[in-house]
Amino acid sequence: MSALLEVRDVSKSFGAVAAVAGVSLAVTEGRLHSIIGPNGAGKTTLFNCITGEVQPTAGRILYDGRDITGLPPHALPALGIARSFQRTSIFPTLTVAENVWVSAYARRETRGGPVLVPADRVEGVGETVRAALAEVGLAAHAERPAAVLAHGDQRLLDFAIALAARPRLLLLDEPTAGLSRQETQRVIAYIGTLKGRYTIVLIEHKMDVVMTLSDRVSVMYFGRLLAEGTPPEIRGDARVREAYLGKRA
Amino acid sequence: MRDRWIFLLIVGVLAVGPFVQREVIATEILIFAVVALANNLILGYTGMLSFGQATFFGVGAYAAGLLTIHAGLPLPVVLAAATVLATGLAVLIGAVCVQRIGLYFIMLTFAFNQMFYFIAYSWTTLTGGEDGLPGVRRPAALADDLTFYVLVALLFLACLLLMKRVVDSPWGRVFRAIRDNEARAAAVGHDVRRYKLLSFTISAAFTGFAGALYSLLYGIVPIDAIHWLRSGDIVFMTLIGGSGHFFGPIIGAAFFIWLSETVSVVWDRWPMILGVVFALVVLFLRGGVVELIRRGHGLVTARGGAATAP
Repeated sequence: MSALLEVRDVSKSFGAVAAVAGVSLAVTEGRLHSIIGPNGAGKTTLFNCITGEVQPTAGRILYDGRDITGLPPHALPALGIARSFQRTSIFPTLTVAENVWVSAYARRETRGGPVLVPADRVEGVGETVRAALAEVGLAAHAERPAAVLAHGDQRLLDFAIALAARPRLLLLDEPTAGLSRQETQRVIAYIGTLKGRYTIVLIEHKMDVVMTLSDRVSVMYFGRLLAEGTPPEIRGDARVREAYLGKRA
Repeated sequence: MRDRWIFLLIVGVLAVGPFVQREVIATEILIFAVVALANNLILGYTGMLSFGQATFFGVGAYAAGLLTIHAGLPLPVVLAAATVLATGLAVLIGAVCVQRIGLYFIMLTFAFNQMFYFIAYSWTTLTGGEDGLPGVRRPAALADDLTFYVLVALLFLACLLLMKRVVDSPWGRVFRAIRDNEARAAAVGHDVRRYKLLSFTISAAFTGFAGALYSLLYGIVPIDAIHWLRSGDIVFMTLIGGSGHFFGPIIGAAFFIWLSETVSVVWDRWPMILGVVFALVVLFLRGGVVELIRRGHGLVTARGGAATAP
């Protein structure tokens, strides 16, 4: 199996602070790979290096053999990379269907076509929107403004927006952050259904979420990669227990 | 469906307009309605506040004036050339401005406006400077104010339909997405700066076109046409009418021009009324006059509902 995403010796410093220091990891196609670590371990900075929000100070990021280091965020969906946000990130005044449309259209846009037609009549976008909404179970809410959805539904809409880009690689940034226990269960179950169909990189700090879902886990600690392995290996790793799980283990 | 009724209502108002107002004032209202609608493309739809719309209004007006006076070109050519010039300028200015967001974007649009104002102010041999550029004659066929009103009314309708088409198009929807959540719009694959520049440029094109009509309305391009205060007026019109609704800015423009042209004759401190109205709108009526209509409508339907209830 080949690596779809490869992070090679990536570092990112903010002034004198090294948020990420020489991290390397390879995400195998079709797998769910989690990156965990306590708060401040550099997970989000690493994630932002991959998504193009910040520029790494050193190192390369390769996607499907291609160097994507430093590409702006808007260039990634066309390559097949989609992301969700840690804090639900939707278009609140647009309807649920329009939210997903904006993503589906971005993919369609590159092929050109007439521009001054009613948005809903753009060919080939409507089907993608319907499919993405059906997939997350929000089809019944299609015409409602996104702002009125319940918190958990908004998180699912966030996923639907990512899926409408028809990605190969899905980057999920703490998808259960700020959700109630019940909503968390729903979102985890949902991510379970995505497994195998997409290559997924999941940033998390909730241990239980990661252990049940992941094929592979990378542990970050103070900007460095502390360990990598399967969930049982990580659970059994003494350094991880000491650094991350602390006294609880 | 609802839009169709509003459109018919507008056509009706256009038909009676010159009989309830002096033709020139009715015409000026329509010209500024185009300007305010165009400003709402960036303000209401894309979420960019510009304090430099007068740059394009003024450039359109001066271009049309100069071409009419010195080149004696036919009207359609004059209008087209002025629009193209304003559009081209907007691409250059916009490309710089959209590099920044929020306050810095506003300051950049303002700075460019000041720059072009001073060019117009100091280049007296070309623009007439402070005295304005007089002698912009309309073609003989349009010399009559009512005839000119009819032409402007038709052009207003064309602009209205075209802008409606833009906001209902994929572009319009991406504009709204950017207004709602810029980072997410970029993350799903839209080049946000390119779209902002597109919105800015389309807006400037209509604004320049309106400026060209304005120079022909009074036969003079006053220096005020390119002054930054004009840019402020344009923002006022848009917000008073209601930036959350496509048709809202028309009401704002009508109110503003009517106030400035009729009340100013009786009372030269009229901007005070404007200030009070603006303060009230900002404090209690964020959606502008359109919000008032909406609430009124809601009240009526609620009462109607109560009456029919057992």
